[in-house]
Amino acid sequence: MHQISKLAYYFVIVLIILSINFSLPRAMPGDALSYLTDPGADIPVRMTEEKREILLAYYGLDKPLSEQYITYMVGIIRGDLGWSIYYSAPVLEVILGRLKWTLILVGTSTAIYITLGILLGATSAWARGRKRDMGLLISIISISSFPSFFLGILLAIIFGIKLDIFPISGAQTAFATYSSPLEEIFDILHHLVLPAATLVLSHIGGTYFLMRNSMLGVLGEDYIMTARAKGLSERYILHKHALTNALLPIVTMTAMTVGFMIMGTIFVETVFAYPGIGNLLYNAVSYNDYPLLQGIFLFLTIAIVGANFIADMIYIRLDPRVNHE
Amino acid sequence: MKKTVLILAVLLCSMAFSASVLAENDGVAAMDSDKTVKMAGGTPGGADWGYPAPFTFYPRGPGYSRMSLLFDTLTWKDADGVIPALADGWTVSDDGKTWTFYLDRNARWHDNELFTADDVKFTIEYMQDHEGEFTWFEAINYINDVQVIDDYTVVIDLNAPMASFLVDIAGNVPILPEHIWCDVSDPRTFKDDDAVIGTGPLKLVDYDSAMSSYQYEANYDYYDGKLLVDEFISMEVGDAPAALKTGDVDEVSFWGSEIIAVQDFKDNHPEFTIVTGPSFWVLQVIFNCDADDTKGYPTNILEFRQAIAHGIDRDEIVSQVLNDGGIPANTGIMHPDSIWYNPDCAVYEYNPDTANDILDSLGFTEKNSEGIRQYPAGAERSGNVEFYLYTTGKFSREAGLIQTDLAAIGIGIYVSPSTWGPIDDRLKAGNFDMVISGHGGISNPQIMRIPSWPASTYQNSEYDSIFTAQEVEMDLDTRKELVDQLQEVVADDLPVYTLYHPYMWCVYNPEVLDTWFYTRDGIGIGIPLELNKLIFLARYGDANENGEISMQDVTKMERMILELDDESDMADANQDDEINMQDVTHIELIILGRAPIRIG
Repeated sequence: MHQISKLAYYFVIVLIILSINFSLPRAMPGDALSYLTDPGADIPVRMTEEKREILLAYYGLDKPLSEQYITYMVGIIRGDLGWSIYYSAPVLEVILGRLKWTLILVGTSTAIYITLGILLGATSAWARGRKRDMGLLISIISISSFPSFFLGILLAIIFGIKLDIFPISGAQTAFATYSSPLEEIFDILHHLVLPAATLVLSHIGGTYFLMRNSMLGVLGEDYIMTARAKGLSERYILHKHALTNALLPIVTMTAMTVGFMIMGTIFVETVFAYPGIGNLLYNAVSYNDYPLLQGIFLFLTIAIVGANFIADMIYIRLDPRVNHE
Repeated sequence: MKKTVLILAVLLCSMAFSASVLAENDGVAAMDSDKTVKMAGGTPGGADWGYPAPFTFYPRGPGYSRMSLLFDTLTWKDADGVIPALADGWTVSDDGKTWTFYLDRNARWHDNELFTADDVKFTIEYMQDHEGEFTWFEAINYINDVQVIDDYTVVIDLNAPMASFLVDIAGNVPILPEHIWCDVSDPRTFKDDDAVIGTGPLKLVDYDSAMSSYQYEANYDYYDGKLLVDEFISMEVGDAPAALKTGDVDEVSFWGSEIIAVQDFKDNHPEFTIVTGPSFWVLQVIFNCDADDTKGYPTNILEFRQAIAHGIDRDEIVSQVLNDGGIPANTGIMHPDSIWYNPDCAVYEYNPDTANDILDSLGFTEKNSEGIRQYPAGAERSGNVEFYLYTTGKFSREAGLIQTDLAAIGIGIYVSPSTWGPIDDRLKAGNFDMVISGHGGISNPQIMRIPSWPASTYQNSEYDSIFTAQEVEMDLDTRKELVDQLQEVVADDLPVYTLYHPYMWCVYNPEVLDTWFYTRDGIGIGIPLELNKLIFLARYGDANENGEISMQDVTKMERMILELDDESDMADANQDDEINMQDVTHIELIILGRAPIRIG
């Protein structure tokens, strides 16, 4: 029962967000056709009023807003996200083509930085004030203070150009022919190393510090002292009592950063010419591509709300108290 | 009598050709069994230019050029100007309205169907039906009627004489295969494999929008010349210079301030070849010239605009922002490397004293404590002479320098950078004083239609009538004079004050492909890029790498120059007794390298 009302709650949230997704792009200055006349382009396109009207009609943008809104909502229900004006392709196709790569990049690096961050944070807290703690603290502070695009360029120069062991452009060798699927997977992983490493290095600090602080807090709790008094082994206390409790804020933070991770890859995408949603969103905003913007926002909405939903579920498992509130 | 129009370009290359054929041929190295050429397709996030079919490429130069590798036009351009493509030759009636094209008899579609005059007629009619949904082939509406005389002769009737016909229509509109497109109702959504079947030298193998990559293969049956490559790939790279050095790509291009990367190649990597090209692009300050003082004051005062022009140090902008990777612009807009350039336009020497004198004489004499001038009493505005300078974030450094320059002559500037959308809104509404904006295409006089493009606050009926006159003027020299006048009016009236023209560079590995060049006045309607399909074709006697000429390898152009092709109308035109002597003189001058090459 409780879970059903939770679902209803998420449904209402999604509905509200979808309506905002519809209105926000239209509130931006300029219109969906302004990009055509952007004189920054090499060959400017001259647009007469007559032509503008034909084009607006072609994309259904001449209809009243209420009608556009209904078309949009009905489209979403039918799984039709519309036609991207700039990319001249179905929005779903444009997004899915890039989403695959974003998921590979964000998925891999999130898994790595969360795991590493938790382990290092816990280790650090457990060894508080000792050499190991200080060493970790100083190195992670130093790494985290680099902006991600700088880290990316640094890695590209060292491992891509000087040592020449990792490729620095793209997610896959362009139009390569592979002798086996294994070879293709290797090629993809090979291209993934530097961008993923950049994301891991630039995001690990957050998890590490949160975990270290959270762990330090937990370690000061009475029940830890009780466990020690009971004579339980240090390892058992660390795993069973401390770690589980210290993980709660990490779950929240991870859920909250999913959205940022998908968007935050734009620098990495740019440095390594890695295909993804970040650059797509940037282009969609620059070109006022309403249907594409709506589509990307929809995916973001689903990703963020979904991540929060999963976090809620995990919370229930990790913290039995949550369920009774 | 029809006036025979000579295809100037036929003769332009005769020097180059005879030199390279008659002299020892040291042109092309022996070809690899399977040669792939890779080019960096653009900036990250911007190397995808759409599916390269005629209605689905993104309406930008790189999109058009990727499409043009697959589809041919009636005419095309090389480094020297207009050349024949699907048309072997053409004539035009005395009134400039009726064009007869004699078509290539060997051209075939990629699916091996024969190309005929019916395809040309179909294309023009299809384009006219669907042009509204796309923005690139607008000029097609100048055509009134198309008649097929026989399989290889087609007559095109225009509504009015059109001086730029050979470039803007014949050299721009891709000819579609009727047998494929006759069933396509919405070309904007037509993206089948069939949508990229053309007659061009390359065939599309694969395109990946997410990866921003294109894969083409050679069309070995191409009707005009031997292919130099087997495969061509355009791809996205993160760091273009690094990608060229590591061999990930074989060619990259640079723009303006990126001259620093080019200099590095020049100094430290002599194994790469560098070609400098004109960008046919101009950055300019657009003034609000609205005669209605409530909107246009004070930038609608000519002397005020002149004062600003004298107050802006363009050399400093070129040096600071472009690292000297460009030149101060022609005040008349058209690019100095274009045949249309007027070198005699008014120049506004940077001189704050001159600027101050002009402003003083206009009555802007009072200054506040910060040195900002005050509007004269009774003027449309009162208080400080201060403006917003709107521009996209890209040009905020230029705006910053102008802010400093104008502060020195007592004009206050707030720089307001934003995306293009809000600026577009302001320009359309006339709600601005000054905007910094740039545009390309300044090798084609049609860009002069609105001198203050993309705004239109400037009204000058005399200017408009000169523009209209040049549009229909079929005599090249007379048309050039009219275009010269347009430039002088812009330079004198200053609806815009031009700032700079950036350079472009193409840096490539000559061992892979050594034929990269910049097209005379740009590809198609004026695209300044180095991706011209001709780079993939053996030409001008390079056809044969062994110093021998195999007749199969000789291109259409070369045949005509050698007068080997008896059937060609173009070659006949060359020797025809009816040739207009004035034209011959001009062509002879060009052959001798003593006259600029002009598009007629």
